[in-house]
Amino acid sequence: MELVLLFVSSALINNFVLAYFLGICPFIGVSNKLSSAFSMGIATTFVMVLTAIVSWLIYNLILLPNHLDYLQYVAFILVIASLVQFVEMVIKKVSQPLYRALGIFLPLITTNCAILGLALFIVLKEYDFAQSIVYGFGVGAGFTLALVIMAGIREELDLADVPKPFRGAPITLVVAGLLALAFMGFAGLINI
Amino acid sequence: MKKVSLTREYLKGLWEQNPTFKQILGTCPTLAVTVSAMNGIAMALATTFVLVFSSAIISLVRKLIPSQVRIAAYIVIVATFVTIVDLVMKAQFPEMSKSLGPYIPLIVVNCIILGRAEAFASKNGVFRSILDALGMGTGFLLALFVIGSIRELLGTKTILGFQLMPDFYTPWLIMILPAGAFITYGLLMGLSNAYADRKKENERNAIYEKYIASKQTVPTTETEA
Amino acid sequence: MKTAIHMIITLFVIGSLSGGFLSYIANWASPKIIQHRQEDTEKAIYTVQPKCKKTEKVKAAFELYRVFSESGDTLGYAMPVEGNGFQGKVRLMIGVTKDATELTGLEILEQSETPGLGQKIVEEDFKKQFANLVTNPLVEWIKGSAPEKKNQIQTITGATISSKSVVEIINTGLETLRTSLNDGGIK
Repeated sequence: MELVLLFVSSALINNFVLAYFLGICPFIGVSNKLSSAFSMGIATTFVMVLTAIVSWLIYNLILLPNHLDYLQYVAFILVIASLVQFVEMVIKKVSQPLYRALGIFLPLITTNCAILGLALFIVLKEYDFAQSIVYGFGVGAGFTLALVIMAGIREELDLADVPKPFRGAPITLVVAGLLALAFMGFAGLINI
Repeated sequence: MKKVSLTREYLKGLWEQNPTFKQILGTCPTLAVTVSAMNGIAMALATTFVLVFSSAIISLVRKLIPSQVRIAAYIVIVATFVTIVDLVMKAQFPEMSKSLGPYIPLIVVNCIILGRAEAFASKNGVFRSILDALGMGTGFLLALFVIGSIRELLGTKTILGFQLMPDFYTPWLIMILPAGAFITYGLLMGLSNAYADRKKENERNAIYEKYIASKQTVPTTETEA
Repeated sequence: MKTAIHMIITLFVIGSLSGGFLSYIANWASPKIIQHRQEDTEKAIYTVQPKCKKTEKVKAAFELYRVFSESGDTLGYAMPVEGNGFQGKVRLMIGVTKDATELTGLEILEQSETPGLGQKIVEEDFKKQFANLVTNPLVEWIKGSAPEKKNQIQTITGATISSKSVVEIINTGLETLRTSLNDGGIK
């Protein structure tokens, strides 16, 4: 039950994009088409769950017992970079259609600050192993949700008469602001 | 490669290629820490420190690193400097480190740093790389200060802690909420685009008038992107 | 093959240089960081127990500090407690009298409530309600009007949930403390 609450709170209430501002780059970059937004979201969620598992293991089994916790940033970013590379290789071997659908997004994920943010939050909030996995999945789901909603809005926005200097990134940010305001309604939905 | 003057190398980061408004890099810290002007300044200084040192080191060792592993090597260098900043802040400025929270470690993935490392420091000498990094850092500082001041002024009536709004003004709560960050940033970016468009058009008009006056062929000018 | 070796050597050199340098910096910084953390805790204890002159960590199943007056008498306890607020974790430091029947003060150590609304729990107007508050049987809250009973505090307008959370966290802490006091867990 507690894990379900954790999932809901990480996906909706403390949405990484709209409440913590993590993962804004892909949020602005990839959110102009619904289909690519969804693929990007799924790929990111996948990497997030893996990152949650591996970074929890590295931090709690290697860094902490040896008092090396000051190496966490270096360790996490290397883990993420190699995970992304690894996932790319596996997908390429296993399924060509999936690789064609996700392939171009994978390298972008390395510099997605949401992933490193996830690893850091797991350490900061002292989650146990099961919680970390659920948290990673929840954050990924929240990221996908925000990305897909934004893409839906932007497809409509293309037809709207936006002043020229505001087209593209500026209007996206303003819309994201309104979306963040809407998501605030979820706060207090549950206490966690 | 065309060599530009050293002053231009620095100045281009302030406005023309401002990392925040023009290149849309490093958006996470821009939005997250700008609840007050002071936070913005501290974040920008920390980022500039990391940017300058990692650019310098990357530029120094750029010929020694095989290109296949360069990104990994850059990331390790950047992460090292970020850890230094984080530890020093925690030891010397505990209050500041508390209010910037987990956003200091996120400098590692700030696209400004890897972006400049890949686009500039890996191709240029040490001195130019440092100038470029300083310029980008200053541009980032300006942007964060402006956004931070606007949000602080409208959200809590103050700038850097000094009250600037009259007492009867009711603070707009939305400005210090996440939503306010998105909206302020979006509007400022739109305005800066509008200004840049206007300037470009004026330049075009000036060239056209010159042409009319001299009745000669228009020289093909390069408009700067 | 040659490039592969070159790659591995480069990464190894960079990695070990970075690790070595960082361990040097960490050695310098970690005592200072620990000291700041201790100072923060101590400052919070002095805020919640204004008459405190000396503190001592008590051996218990949870974090607890015994607080002494100038003459060396036990004044009461200071105890960090935590729980869930409206948006995230809230950590408090509470000061209680020796028999745990009255609060001496409250300090907010950590919170992530909504700015401008829930974040008002850190303001003096809210915190001072807890000074010399009777906690028998437990702390209660009242919404919209001044407290009627001695163990009541008034919730903040627009931040009822945050205020209630603070009260609930305090009550949970008080119960834990009382149980330990009664069964002799604290000597």
